[in-house]
Amino acid sequence: MGSRASTLLREEEIEEIKKETGFSHSQITRLYSRFTSLDKGENGTLSREDFQRIPELAINPLGDRIINAFFTEGEDQVNFRGFMRTLAHFRPIEDNEKNKNAASTEPLNSRANKLLFAFQLYDLDRDDKISRDELLQVLRMMVGVNISDEQLGSIADRTIQEADTNGDNSISFSEFTKVLEKVDVEQKMSIRFLH
Amino acid sequence: MGLYPLRDPSLSGSFALRLAIQGGGAPQRRNRRQAGGRGAAKGRGRGKKAASDEEEEEEEEEEEAPRGRRGANRKKATKKQEEDSDEEDNPKRKRGAAGANKRKGRKGQENEESEEDTKKGRRGGKKGGKDEEPKGKKGDAKGKDKGKDKGKEKGKDKGKDKGKDDDKKKKKKKGGSSSDSNSNSEEEDSLSEGEMARLMEEVEEKKKLIANIRNKPWRMHRRLTHLKEAQEFVDKFEGALGKGKGRKWYAYKVMMTKKWIKFQRDFENFRTSCIPWESRIKEVESHFGSSVASYFIFLRWMYGLNMVLFGFTFGLVVIPEVLMGLPYGSIPRKTVPREEQATAQDYSVLMDFDGYCKYSVLFYGYYNNQRTIGLLKFRQPLSYLLVGIGTFGYSLMVVIRTMAKNADVGGGDGEEGEFTFAWKMFTSWDYLIGNAETADNKYASITTSFKESIVDEQENQKDENIHLRRFLRVLANFLITCILGGSGYLIFFVVKRSQAVKDKADASWYEKNELELIMSLLGLVCPPLFETIAELEDYHPRIALKWQLGRIFALFLGNLYTFLLALFDEVNTMIESEQNIKNQSNLMMMEYYANYSRLMNDSEATPPPMDPADVIRGPCWETAVGIEIVKLTVSDIQVTYLTILIGDFARAVIVRFLNYCWCWDLEAGFPSYGEFDISGNVLSLVFNQGMIWMGAFFAPGLVGINVLRLLTSMYYQCWAVMATNVPHERVFKASKSNNFYMGLLLLILFLSLLPVVFAIMTMSPSFDCGPFSGKEKMFDVIMETISLDLPPFMGTVFSYAANPGLIIPAVLLMVRIIVAGRTKTTQTWGAE
Repeated sequence: MGSRASTLLREEEIEEIKKETGFSHSQITRLYSRFTSLDKGENGTLSREDFQRIPELAINPLGDRIINAFFTEGEDQVNFRGFMRTLAHFRPIEDNEKNKNAASTEPLNSRANKLLFAFQLYDLDRDDKISRDELLQVLRMMVGVNISDEQLGSIADRTIQEADTNGDNSISFSEFTKVLEKVDVEQKMSIRFLH
Repeated sequence: MGLYPLRDPSLSGSFALRLAIQGGGAPQRRNRRQAGGRGAAKGRGRGKKAASDEEEEEEEEEEEAPRGRRGANRKKATKKQEEDSDEEDNPKRKRGAAGANKRKGRKGQENEESEEDTKKGRRGGKKGGKDEEPKGKKGDAKGKDKGKDKGKEKGKDKGKDKGKDDDKKKKKKKGGSSSDSNSNSEEEDSLSEGEMARLMEEVEEKKKLIANIRNKPWRMHRRLTHLKEAQEFVDKFEGALGKGKGRKWYAYKVMMTKKWIKFQRDFENFRTSCIPWESRIKEVESHFGSSVASYFIFLRWMYGLNMVLFGFTFGLVVIPEVLMGLPYGSIPRKTVPREEQATAQDYSVLMDFDGYCKYSVLFYGYYNNQRTIGLLKFRQPLSYLLVGIGTFGYSLMVVIRTMAKNADVGGGDGEEGEFTFAWKMFTSWDYLIGNAETADNKYASITTSFKESIVDEQENQKDENIHLRRFLRVLANFLITCILGGSGYLIFFVVKRSQAVKDKADASWYEKNELELIMSLLGLVCPPLFETIAELEDYHPRIALKWQLGRIFALFLGNLYTFLLALFDEVNTMIESEQNIKNQSNLMMMEYYANYSRLMNDSEATPPPMDPADVIRGPCWETAVGIEIVKLTVSDIQVTYLTILIGDFARAVIVRFLNYCWCWDLEAGFPSYGEFDISGNVLSLVFNQGMIWMGAFFAPGLVGINVLRLLTSMYYQCWAVMATNVPHERVFKASKSNNFYMGLLLLILFLSLLPVVFAIMTMSPSFDCGPFSGKEKMFDVIMETISLDLPPFMGTVFSYAANPGLIIPAVLLMVRIIVAGRTKTTQTWGAE
């Protein structure tokens, strides 16, 4: 299937995507076939509805935000290039990449960039801080109405209290990184390819 | 694509992104087999529809490139322009959608065409000729299923191409032919110079047209028709104009590359489909979360381990004995005794592993003590002993290595960390959940965990009646100790009684199977009892779970060891009686010979050997132990399967169908559907494995039985879980439990190692059965091999090496190496 899907993509296009995202040729064709199977409208772009059709995203409390991450400001369609640009965050880190960290620019799939992607899911107003209100919103989505507002508030307070080191009552990216220091982000935020 | 059901869990599941996921669920993988199947389905449809779709395909292609470019740097300013072109595009898109499925099927060919396009675009059309010829031909070969369609279309082309008669003939010939290169080369010769030149010219012209068609001020429709015609023409005739061998070689090379890629892909698919039960486990995982799947992955890992053990045992012990050893009935140990022969084939006897089962390769007693068997001089007894020890060695190595590997991977959980709330906040959602029900449960579980954390916090602050709690905890532990002791005693008692029963001829079924029944019942009743008692303690649920696991484990272990002690007791009495029987047997032999010579009145004549069925046998304690363990394993299998059938399936059926006519909601209310009991199942699997390790030495067939058991449980439990269970309310993290389970496995491995090693090292084997009969100790067989098969100086080396002062450091060193070597090894106990 992959080999066939690949031929819908132009070689130059694949080359460019390869350069931009670091995915291998076969990975790109793989993802392209995934892309086309998601593309219900058959128009070469994905709409929010197309994403919503993925049950994992439809159910996910943060699903909307994840979907949003695929779309650039003001757009409601994403083409394969844009799709791949976002997915590049989830490219598995290869062993040889780990070693040569002297690369000129940091690749999109570095640990920091992966974390930044996650961070931005929480940071709605893009002020590089997760505020108490933003936490509360996420909490409401995750636990619904089962916990009283008062308790939710105290959870959010505790969360910030735990993570906040500079005392500004919000979580900055560096604090976020520190909290998730022990999480195996490299592995968990990666697409699993078979090869 | 219309053909693809997007709801397919494997498709959409694989798309899910692994963000900060709680728990280390198994990785999502694409289900390639399905993809392959689809491809094939498409392929079938392609031949017929090719012709009618062709047009649409070309349109698609034509549009794609400009659209792609446009899409990349779209701007609002150019919107208007775009709308215009979109209008033009829209109807075509619709048509394109209809033909899209087939388009994929024929992409191979299309690719060629589009490549040609672009190439020519760059070169300006004229130079491309040579390189493209083989490609065109290739496309031709590829599209041979639709050759007929093309043949028809040719007729249409005729007018424009001003084709001569011979051209037409050629076309038809080509259209029908499946091996174009051959016919082409023939035709090449038959073409005259002038025709060649004209044809070449025409081809060049067409190529030019293809290259420039985008710039022509025609309507889209016209452009497409022309493009199509030109491409077809070039396709057909380029090949005819090629020169010599280079072309063929190139075509061959291209074809082989394609084939090679295809092969690699197929191989990859094959390899994926070789991971057993991958899709099955994925399905369970998508419905029940990674924790339930972790049980099945563990089960699969166990299966793998047991397959290796099975390979060793059967390859090196059972099969050599069957193929090269003496056949059944040749010597006493391989024959059913005369008094048992009448009932030896009865079903009930066979189910007790008596009769023919007892005197078969399944058990220790069947094996002969011949030092070498067969033409190859296979050292059967030595092999038996080494396989017995090797089983433990291999298992130990694999378990330790897997644990080391897991310890390496783990670490992604903030249980004791400082960021309890932050972790819950950012990492509690499982991004692989794709099922609404599971998601609801996850919501619930996150809520609970938050609530728990709040409770924890509160508990930390205030300290209420600590004395009462302490008292309750002591009480609970006291009660549980009592239960454990009681169950231990019960088993001991039953074992004793069953020994008495053995001598009785008319023992009822219950009396015969009492031991197994009691043990299974204890395993069923005690865990819920523990759970109830544990409520007294009022521990944090997480800690309570560990206690629960530990207690059940202690129960199993206690039972196992009581069982073993009782067994050893039995063995000792057997060994005592053995000497007696040995004397008797010798006496009888002598009597037989004396009688023979007296009857024949000829002391010189050698009597024929005694019928092996009549010889008096020793009790053969090894086989007895083997039979006990096999029986226990089998009854364990039965109880497990019946529990699933009754406890889960029957319950689910009742809840489901009685719900229509019941006073309260059965599904939501009291009985509800069962949950999958991960800890219980893992423990019973671990416990079962302990039995296998212990019994494998005395009953080589046990490993085979276990492999069958694991195989069937995989299917059975997968089915049961999907059909009858509901997802957990509290999904616990799988990755954390892994090493806990592995630790239990390691513990039970050591514990089952002890009795076997004890038996091998200290007890003397039976005198008339098994591969070690006639030896003082089982390991004498090694000494024998050293002294007989190896040069003498090796004997001295070994005697030094056997010094415990050397062995212990050596073992420690080995463990160290195994643990240290983990980074290099790729073996894991999951599919990861």
